[in-house]
Amino acid sequence: MAISKEVYKVFESIVGDYYVSNDPVICESYRSGPGGYENGTGYERVMTTIPGCVIMPRTTEEVQKIVKVCYKNDIPYVPYSTGFYGPKSHPHVEDALLIDLKRMNDFYLDEKHYYVEVGPGMIYSPIQEEAMRHGAYVVIGGGGAQASAIANLIGDGWSPLSHRIGLPHRRILGTELVLPDGELLKLGSLANSDDPFWGECPGPDLRGILRGYTGVRGCLGIVTRMAIKTLPFQPERLQPTGISPNTVLAFPEKRVKWINYVVPSKEAQVKAMYEIGKAEIGGAVTKVPLFWRSIAKAEDKEHFWEMWGKENEKTVANFFIVRVLLIGYTSEEQLEYDEAVLADIMSEVGGEARPTKPSDESWIKNADSAGMWLMCGDYVSVDYVIETLSQATEHGPTYAELKKKYTPPLMPDYGDPGWFQSFELGHQGYSEFLIYWDHDDDTDPVDQFYLDTSIMNINHRFYTSLLGPHQPMYLTGPQYGPNYHEYFLKVKDEFDPKWMSHPPVPLAHDVLIERSPWLKKMKYWETPDDLPK
Amino acid sequence: MDSKNEGKQRYYKPRAEVALDIEDMENFVYDMSRCIKCKGCTWVDHTYMPGAKFMTRCPSATMYEYDAYGAYGKMRIAHGMAEGKVEWNDKALEIMYACTLCGACDVGCKRNLDLEVELTLESIRVKAVKDGVGPLPAHKKIAENVKKTGNMFGSSKKRTEWIPADAKPADKADVLYFVGCTASYTNHEIAQSTAKIFKAAKVNYMLLKDESCCGNAIFSSGMVDEAREIAKKNVEAMKKSGAKKLVTACAEGYRMWKVDYPKLLNIATADLGFEVLHLVEFVDELVKNGSLKMKKEFNTRMVYHDACSLSRLSEPWTPWEGKRGWMGCVEPRLKRRRGTNGVYEQPRDILKAIPGVDLVSLPRERENAYCCGAGRGTKEAFPEFAKWNANHRLEEIRDAGAETLVTACPMCKNNFAQNVKENGNDMQVMDISEVICSAIES
Repeated sequence: MAISKEVYKVFESIVGDYYVSNDPVICESYRSGPGGYENGTGYERVMTTIPGCVIMPRTTEEVQKIVKVCYKNDIPYVPYSTGFYGPKSHPHVEDALLIDLKRMNDFYLDEKHYYVEVGPGMIYSPIQEEAMRHGAYVVIGGGGAQASAIANLIGDGWSPLSHRIGLPHRRILGTELVLPDGELLKLGSLANSDDPFWGECPGPDLRGILRGYTGVRGCLGIVTRMAIKTLPFQPERLQPTGISPNTVLAFPEKRVKWINYVVPSKEAQVKAMYEIGKAEIGGAVTKVPLFWRSIAKAEDKEHFWEMWGKENEKTVANFFIVRVLLIGYTSEEQLEYDEAVLADIMSEVGGEARPTKPSDESWIKNADSAGMWLMCGDYVSVDYVIETLSQATEHGPTYAELKKKYTPPLMPDYGDPGWFQSFELGHQGYSEFLIYWDHDDDTDPVDQFYLDTSIMNINHRFYTSLLGPHQPMYLTGPQYGPNYHEYFLKVKDEFDPKWMSHPPVPLAHDVLIERSPWLKKMKYWETPDDLPK
Repeated sequence: MDSKNEGKQRYYKPRAEVALDIEDMENFVYDMSRCIKCKGCTWVDHTYMPGAKFMTRCPSATMYEYDAYGAYGKMRIAHGMAEGKVEWNDKALEIMYACTLCGACDVGCKRNLDLEVELTLESIRVKAVKDGVGPLPAHKKIAENVKKTGNMFGSSKKRTEWIPADAKPADKADVLYFVGCTASYTNHEIAQSTAKIFKAAKVNYMLLKDESCCGNAIFSSGMVDEAREIAKKNVEAMKKSGAKKLVTACAEGYRMWKVDYPKLLNIATADLGFEVLHLVEFVDELVKNGSLKMKKEFNTRMVYHDACSLSRLSEPWTPWEGKRGWMGCVEPRLKRRRGTNGVYEQPRDILKAIPGVDLVSLPRERENAYCCGAGRGTKEAFPEFAKWNANHRLEEIRDAGAETLVTACPMCKNNFAQNVKENGNDMQVMDISEVICSAIES
């Protein structure tokens, strides 16, 4: 149902005339595709549409009022912070209201208690700059420097720096959530004062409803304010250097240092990561896909393919690197000590240090995610797992094997098993598998691969991020729990009985399967007849 | 890369012909379709991100806030137009024209993705004109003025009125000073300072016979046919003059001569037959080779504002056409213009060489500089936009504690000066030619 003139006027009275628009050109600019994360896939083409109207609130109170009007008038709505990460943050039904949160970009830094407080419009790179200026730092999650920190933290929110800083759910402190019907829920210490310094709630920790393994994509309301834990960094400035596109942060060399080691085997990689964690050294410990190195070195797309075209299954299979970021958090002597310990560990596993630039261009203030689109034009992280270091690294090769069936149109990567790294000082391991393609090719196999990985995980009993609203819940839910999906749907019904907050999430993937013949032919599981159409 | 020889593992993909030709928006549909909405076009490069204040570099997205006004929004709208899904309306025209084409988006995108954003935006305006909806009335008026009077203001005054009694340009010289409309009619101080600098450095210079407008606003608003005629006429006159170097103190005129005339004439900058220099490049060389001494003190805390057309938009032009194939790769190899080699250091070197000048940095500078909001015909069509953005930039400049704001573009100078005056601020706004001149005068 299109938004009536009367309701439109109410919206105007909430945010002012300028900040609400149903102009078709304004609405078109909020289209998810044709490019970007997961765009060009079936999910984008089948499940997304342009909004019927866009509104830009400035305050939590305005968000509440907007949502209440939506609830009263049966207007589906979608919260939208930066819109970077693909179709899942865009409307899935006609005539939806897109609530653009970019004006809610308040920022407050509490130097003494090591946290920052932000609105959903605030992105990562300014947060990191402000934090570092005050001797602290945060993780810029894989979403990158330009991602909304709140959206990223309730979605994913990790990077190689999670080796030291830890996982995102530990860094979410006091949080405000406007529930789907407009009621305000305050989490953590915000529950009894206006001080967001602490994340734990009296009673159940309700932060869990926001993210779990990964986020719920706006289907349980809108986070309007969040305090994020920062941790102490070293005090010297990382100096911005160079002119675009070759810009880097130059290190104070006695305080911060990346060292790349080549090791003889995957076992050596895992052992090195484990030992580094056990020794409690390092700010980041990671192994990235070989082609990321080519991206970093490439002058342009054509140069990338020139370089990558020289690789083959053998060179990829024999490439074992461990990339370690050392930080002298407390002193130059600490870095010296950590480097000596690292050298011992590497000597034990047969690692050889390679010349490494005294600068960072990828992780500390960025997470160079936008570069992922350079070589093909399209990209998605298919899946990720958090396990023990030894188990996490088992997943990548299974994805690589399955991927062969879908290459092309997927980018030839010669069996690269993806990215893995240490989290929380080696207590946990992380593996992520990414795929790349060009959406001018036939993208049906891309969708099929995505679904097939989920089926593969069920068969292997792997426990991965796909349990969230990223795959058909009637496929994954009965396999894990066995009533994970029912539990989630009960939560959804309880908080959002009218399903106004970003419908049909969390069942969007189930709906996608029904609407997409190239996926439906893979379906072997049951779904209820009353699935949203 | 030859996709036919990639082996059976890859799809063969028929190649599509493509050219860096803004007269056909279809050339840029690939770029539009690969925009990932990372908004690197809008935010300051993460490396240089100054903190929670002054985070953006796109004047349109910063002021208007809706996604439509960022390059990522414009690309989506234009893509919808290319697919026949979106029609022009007043809002679409405002979105496409309330933008200084300052190039911040282009540089930002090419930090990672190499999409041709600037050319896409230019081509959208060409389409607007071809579709009969553009340009805007203010641009039509400028075109009319130029046609009638040879200058963008429609002034009937003599173009050479600025020439002081003690300055006499030569009839023939290796150096030709292209004055431009603004310095000829509204900002004589720039032209006169430039003439004094030439004199101090003992540089013999000539003027273009019957100089007229460079066509900046005409080209920038998408009237390419009219702009091409101006380009042809001016280039021909320059060649006829016999001068080897064209020097201008106008950043926008500089960009027209160096980049957009070659673009319009489908030739490389190197094939113009003469060198195009901004005054700062010319003076920088004079200072460094000792031909120009700047000895007089200028005690001030100064900031330098990078004019877009002199900095990130000023890399030379080379025509390119080829084919796009597998994974979007193009051949022959395209050397992309990313703003890396813009004129950034020369003005700074000049200012630092002046005794007493305390040149301080701005949070957003060089390729991340925030446009003043006036250029490329924008102020004429959207005065409020120019005002808002000048004030936004002035806030940053005031935060730096500047007493003197220097730029190398008359549009920037006027826009800043007007707003400084309106705000009752005591900051002095100067063109770099005036600063140089003040340091060489005895």
